[in-house]
Amino acid sequence: MAEPVLEVHDLHVTFTTEGGLVPAVDGIDFSVAPGETLAIVGESGSGKSVSSAAVMGLLPSNAATTGEVLLDGRELIGLPNDELRKIRGNDIALVFQDALSALNPYYSVGWQVAEAYRLHHDVSKKVAHRRAVEMLDKVGIPDAARRVDSYPHEFSGGMRQRVVIAMALVNDPRVLIADEPTTALDVTVQAQIIRLLDDVQEEFGTALVLISHDLGVVAEVADDVLVMYAGRAAERGTVRDLFYRAAHPYSLGLLGAMPRVDVPPKPRLTTIPGTPPSPGSIRTGCPFQPRCAYTHLVGERCITERPELTPRPGEGDHEAACHLGRRPEALL
Amino acid sequence: MPDLLWFVIRRLFGAALVMLALSFAVYLVFYAIPADPAHLACGKPCTPDRLEQARHFMQLDQSAIQQYLSFLKGIFAGRTFGDGAAAVHCNAPCFGYSFPLARPVTTLILDRLPITASIAIGAAILWLLFGVSLGVVAALNRGRLLDRLSVGVALVGVSTPSFLLGLLAILVFGFWLNMVPVNGYVPLTESPVDWAWHLITPWLVLAVLQAAAYIRLTRAQMLEELNLDYITTARAKGAGETRVVVTHGLRGVLVPIITLFGLDLGFLLGGAILTEKVFSMQGLGDLLISAVAQLDVAVVVGVTLFSAFLIILANLVVDIVHGVLDPRVSHG
Repeated sequence: MAEPVLEVHDLHVTFTTEGGLVPAVDGIDFSVAPGETLAIVGESGSGKSVSSAAVMGLLPSNAATTGEVLLDGRELIGLPNDELRKIRGNDIALVFQDALSALNPYYSVGWQVAEAYRLHHDVSKKVAHRRAVEMLDKVGIPDAARRVDSYPHEFSGGMRQRVVIAMALVNDPRVLIADEPTTALDVTVQAQIIRLLDDVQEEFGTALVLISHDLGVVAEVADDVLVMYAGRAAERGTVRDLFYRAAHPYSLGLLGAMPRVDVPPKPRLTTIPGTPPSPGSIRTGCPFQPRCAYTHLVGERCITERPELTPRPGEGDHEAACHLGRRPEALL
Repeated sequence: MPDLLWFVIRRLFGAALVMLALSFAVYLVFYAIPADPAHLACGKPCTPDRLEQARHFMQLDQSAIQQYLSFLKGIFAGRTFGDGAAAVHCNAPCFGYSFPLARPVTTLILDRLPITASIAIGAAILWLLFGVSLGVVAALNRGRLLDRLSVGVALVGVSTPSFLLGLLAILVFGFWLNMVPVNGYVPLTESPVDWAWHLITPWLVLAVLQAAAYIRLTRAQMLEELNLDYITTARAKGAGETRVVVTHGLRGVLVPIITLFGLDLGFLLGGAILTEKVFSMQGLGDLLISAVAQLDVAVVVGVTLFSAFLIILANLVVDIVHGVLDPRVSHG
């Protein structure tokens, strides 16, 4: 396996709110190597997006980040804003979920892509503009030379997301973090965008961190998967580990909630009972315990002791944070 | 751009209709008041004969509708009151003739306009700069001392009447400190320095009063703007904080500010009544107030229509500027 370009160790993000300290991310580790794709999966509020914002140093001032974020071995946490600014958009770029709100409505798409280039390259407006056209063309915007002067509202949802991707890739970043890049799109367009991400990754050798709750997308593009629950890692491993050897009841719940073409359809989609805990409400025990169907197989420990990640059978570093030692197949 | 041209033509046509309706309404109001301008013209002692003569000369003996139609006709063809050697001409565009001042209303307005325009435009530039920058500073320092200070200034400005602040300014800067002239107006063409020197106090007084609304609007709008996704995008691209605020944030703030600004300026150009009185400047506001006191109907109608025209014009300009500032606005 290649040297990881981005490594995150024991990342904690705590928000100071009127209601006290809220730990949104509670000690996660992940790493991603050039040309590889890591998918971070979890429900809303599991800390996926906060983690990515923390990596970029983009959290609001009431958030405290601790741990290690290493880009090519260089620590990013605690770096002065001026230094971080040079890394943002240049070494690490972000693709947002909603391209309509992520693009500034007052400027043409070409201007916005060119701006991203000019922020990190000392070039004339003309050169940056040419580069913008080139990028828009590369991400598959038809007639890019003409469309470059159009405004975001003149594009369809899928085309807008392509613009955002062009903007993110304009500086050849080493790491691309895509925060639910397909959630706001139609299914057919989703497939196109995923294919585009896959293609550019292959072409540029970008390390991709894909934040998603769409397991279909994950299965298609990810190499490794990190399943997050309540700000912690529930399970991690390769994509095959997750889909064929899932060890955490929460991962199983996510897989079970996915409609499948190879199984006769049930009248209703399976759901995980209950709702995810709000950050800050977990004190002791396993955060998933209140919703877990296997607690009875373990007993007291689920309530009193927090499970740590422990190795599981699989292709490499497959780990799950569950007291249930063996794979809970009975209810699959 | 032909879209824009059509838009302007349509709006001007609409404006003409509004002006027509308005002139009719203003005429009606002045027919309803129980006073006779001919009485004032006839002097004392006033014999019934001379009263009748004055009435005929001023064309007040015609029916209300006829007078209104003569007024409309005068705008395009000019009017002549009386005949022979005593005849009074009012050239097109004739918006009425002031018998007490023995001048056509059009001339009166054009004579007074530079004074009012000097006051209004100078003050408007000041309050726009002052209000928007303080509003931005307040938003960026939300909850801190600078924010409270700006909001405090805004509150004082909003609640102080202009005559009070004007008189205080004259007292302090004019008499006690003897820094500025206390009244009077010097035309710009005569001496630009004296012009500005005589205007600086009214400018500042009006600017302080008006800036209040701009501080509050800018602050609220900027706070909203800074929460938008495209602001995060700008940061993620590696833009510095100044660029984020000025290039990406301010554009959206300016849209509502320009609306308010256009209407305020249009309103003020129609006569800064209190300010002109306090600083003894013979602008349109002063003309209007004296005309009301002397039942000089022609002047009142003329100035009212002119003010209305300015408001309509301001609206039109604001709409056009909107289209320039916000590409999502279509004039089609």
